Amino acid sequence: MENSEEESVDRCRMHLRPFTLRSPAPVTLHLLPCEIPVSRPAPVERFFTPAIRQGPYGLEASFRGRSLRGEEVVVPPGLVGYVMTEEKGEVLVGKRDFSESSEDDHELEEQDAMGSPEALERDFDRFIGATASFSSFTLWGLETIPGLDSKVRGALTWPSLAAAIHAQVPED
Amino acid sequence: TAGSMDRRDGARGWQHVFLVPEYLKDASKKMKNGLMFVKLVNPCSGEGAIYLFDMCLPQLFEIKVFKEKNHSWFINESVQSGGLLHFATPVDPLFLLLHYLIKAGKEGKFQPIDQVVMDDMFPNCILLLKLPELEKLLRHVTEEKVNPEIDKKKYYKYSKEKTLKWLEKKVSQTVAALKTSNINVGARVQSTAFFFGDHVSIDKEEDYIRYAHGLMSDYIPKELSDDLSKYLKLPEPPASVSNPPSKKIKLSDEPVEAKEDYTKFNSKDLKTVKKNSKMTASQKALAKVDKSGMKSIDSFFAAKLVKKVGKI
Repeated sequence: MENSEEESVDRCRMHLRPFTLRSPAPVTLHLLPCEIPVSRPAPVERFFTPAIRQGPYGLEASFRGRSLRGEEVVVPPGLVGYVMTEEKGEVLVGKRDFSESSEDDHELEEQDAMGSPEALERDFDRFIGATASFSSFTLWGLETIPGLDSKVRGALTWPSLAAAIHAQVPED
Repeated sequence: TAGSMDRRDGARGWQHVFLVPEYLKDASKKMKNGLMFVKLVNPCSGEGAIYLFDMCLPQLFEIKVFKEKNHSWFINESVQSGGLLHFATPVDPLFLLLHYLIKAGKEGKFQPIDQVVMDDMFPNCILLLKLPELEKLLRHVTEEKVNPEIDKKKYYKYSKEKTLKWLEKKVSQTVAALKTSNINVGARVQSTAFFFGDHVSIDKEEDYIRYAHGLMSDYIPKELSDDLSKYLKLPEPPASVSNPPSKKIKLSDEPVEAKEDYTKFNSKDLKTVKKNSKMTASQKALAKVDKSGMKSIDSFFAAKLVKKVGKI
């Protein structure tokens, strides 16, 4: 059963839809210095955004009564920011579900495999897509702006270092 | 009203904040599919890790994550807990190929590459064979033979000597990058952060080499890392240093693991196939460890809605 082998390979893949990377809507991002344990919609525009002020030492805002200081951090050159959101997997049992909207073109054919009708009988295809993009985000600290030695700023230098580590070396 | 609380904004599922190379955007214009997250071996630990593979370029990217306690995102009109920032950066596929070559090298015979790169745990390793200039890559770390009589096929055998030479070149190009990037590599810096600006400049060549060696060690097995250390003539680090320098650069001290049952869509959908039997003992052990308020790239493979912690 060669096909089952391919299925098992495919089950270890989550497809990122390329078309979603082309022109996703811009998004406003804030990185807060506190843990909010749930992920859910929140009225950011109503409570947080209007309270942001430009102070002498950067942006000022407050959250849950605590004073925050922040500044805009630009995505390093050569990189682009995306918010990626998982799509719910669909269960395919022997036939395609044609009830989805047509723009949501569920591509079942793999470039490298999966030409057979059995391909449609796989349990599911896993998909993720970019739902928004950003070129900067606002970094907030509690009472002071996170300094140059903060971990997040260090992390932003990782891609340039990674490029050096992984660049091909000349042959002898 | 502004900020309509509809379900299109953040209610659909976990939102992952990513930084990716800009050229992926252009490459994506030419393709309908062939961009995917896959689980491959982490060549340092031998455990699973999540990579991004672009079949169009084709190119392999590793996924690293910034995670620090007590962070959350506001994403438009939604909250995303954890405050993770994911990076997709190009990775030299030779590190992964090397993992398989070293394993096969123990048999001490020449083999075709498609017989070397085989893995029941991570069947997606066959993607590595699609990479361009594969033969050129392999020349850095293997002896090769062609059998002109039979099939003109190339046969490869791991060469430690060539590999150490290759790694030495890698170390020196990394040292050059470190010198221009103002990273403080002094052995006495205990912080996990990078330092910029007006720190005391360290100009001891040995510190740079040790630091670069530490970076390389994240991509090669421990044994090879030790051999490389001797090859570079690095002295044993002073015992007072509790953290090896490589620890400083890491975005997260934990390796990128994919240790959950990725056949689940989310915790609400438990009727899918169990794949947990595929986990190694150490992955199972790791799965039990309670971490702190994070969601991981595992969520790509198992979107859990419970407040459970993971990592990328």
